[in-house]
Amino acid sequence: MTDRPATDQQTAAPLEQDAERRRIAALPFDRALAELQTVVSRLEAGNLPLEESISLYEQGVLLHEHCARALSQAELRVQRLVESAGGQLRTLDLSLGEAEEAQGS
Amino acid sequence: MRRTGAGRGGYRIAVRDATQPGPPGPATPPKPRIISVGDLTRLVRETVQRRPELRDVWVEGEVGQVTVSSAGHCYFTLKDERAQLRCMIFRDDRLMMPFEARTGLRLVAHGRVDVFEPQGAYQLYVDSLQPAGFGDLALRFEALKAKLAAEGLFEASRKRSLPAYPLHIGLVTSLSGAVLHDMAKVLGRRWPLAHVIVSACQVQGSGASQTIVAALRRLARWTDPQTGRRVDVVILARGGGSLEDLWPFNEEEVVRAVAAHPAPVVVGVGHETDVTLAEFAADVRAATPSVAAELVVPSRQEERANLELLAARLLSSGGRTLTERGRALRNERRALDGFRPAALLRGERERAGLLLDRATRVLQGRLELHRAHLGRSAERLPAVLSGRLAEGRAALARRAASLEALSPFATLERGYSIVRDAQGRVLRDADGLQVGDPLDIRLQRASLDARLERVRDSRR
Repeated sequence: MTDRPATDQQTAAPLEQDAERRRIAALPFDRALAELQTVVSRLEAGNLPLEESISLYEQGVLLHEHCARALSQAELRVQRLVESAGGQLRTLDLSLGEAEEAQGS
Repeated sequence: MRRTGAGRGGYRIAVRDATQPGPPGPATPPKPRIISVGDLTRLVRETVQRRPELRDVWVEGEVGQVTVSSAGHCYFTLKDERAQLRCMIFRDDRLMMPFEARTGLRLVAHGRVDVFEPQGAYQLYVDSLQPAGFGDLALRFEALKAKLAAEGLFEASRKRSLPAYPLHIGLVTSLSGAVLHDMAKVLGRRWPLAHVIVSACQVQGSGASQTIVAALRRLARWTDPQTGRRVDVVILARGGGSLEDLWPFNEEEVVRAVAAHPAPVVVGVGHETDVTLAEFAADVRAATPSVAAELVVPSRQEERANLELLAARLLSSGGRTLTERGRALRNERRALDGFRPAALLRGERERAGLLLDRATRVLQGRLELHRAHLGRSAERLPAVLSGRLAEGRAALARRAASLEALSPFATLERGYSIVRDAQGRVLRDADGLQVGDPLDIRLQRASLDARLERVRDSRR
């Protein structure tokens, strides 16, 4: 019963959260959506310690935010796959206005 | 006739016929036999009729003069650079045919060859007519279809299901023309989260099938073992065209490449009515290229609605968690109040007040974060949901407030416990305690009577 747990949580939480935020930001949509579904189901099932509920809830909020952003901000990327003489594959950006490749990538 | 009986293939017939009673004439063997025009023509006719390959023949050529008799029979010639063939279609057959002979057309006729004795002319009695190219291709189509079907290439059990959320979508089609553009439009509207990889090919003409196979192979090779990146689904597409135009999609190597591709393949070629063998081999057949694009991706609108539902469930479950805790605590306090002496209770409350402060600080910090996150995501969400999120925020705030009011023992829920000595004093350190002293440990759902075994430095 010291003050330590509280201070630990106060300093550790942002770090953990940053890591979690970065992990979620890198998730493809389908994985983030699947995780969000799991989080919601677990929360709905209940029987979790308060701490775990809160961190799950936070995770859910981040996942939801990530998915919502992906849906509203995504822009279709179209590239052309070409093979060089040596058999190397490269992708070139394709602007569909005139269906010509614009620049390498 | 002088060579009659020379034993050369075609003339042997004359010898054989010469043994039969012929028209009256000189019987002396060395003298050439003279037969009537009718007999000769009959001979030729019988000869022709005996050849099975002349009874069932496909022939291609260009249509010359066409006449239809008053009886309704149709007479025409088929010709190429070297020869002409007289053809006729009986009235009844002609009326049944969907296709008509016209001068200048190249076409394929099916029928039997026979000799029309009154005119001394051999001709093709046509029972079926098709545009040139079609007959031949249709035969090849059926033959190849039967062969590949026998190999099991078109079996339903081979078909793979499409990924629900494809990340990398391979398009095999021509860079020119509207098809690529149309598909990109559909994909951009429905699922802009996708990354489209165009592997260009020719979609008609000689050599097209090789370029299609090469384009499919490029997509199969476009993998990154480190990230696991690969094409999740492939669309092979082409706009409408004649049977000849679509023919590359019936070539065996293309059909096999579709069936063997590591990713599921959707084939959308031509219009709804066009069917190619590549479509039989595809995991999913789409009526047109645009339909193919619709099929491979989820709809952003539907996913938004789905996400909204999940957000609402998240909020209500989060809120419920707090409500349940509140109820449990209320019960707890009522129970405690019932049997604790007032003074003791005051002490507990004082002690618990300190714990509460700490718990509240932590909880409030977290709740602030939630509010911030929800606020941010709400900005991007439709008005309906942001309203719901706002309600949720208010509900969360209410729950937090009621928790604060009720929370003296919230920390018990979180796994902390309250330890008292024999006098009922809440212990903050081990001062004045002896080994063997009785201890009263209060847990969330139980009280324990324990004895002190050893005192260690509790500061880690």
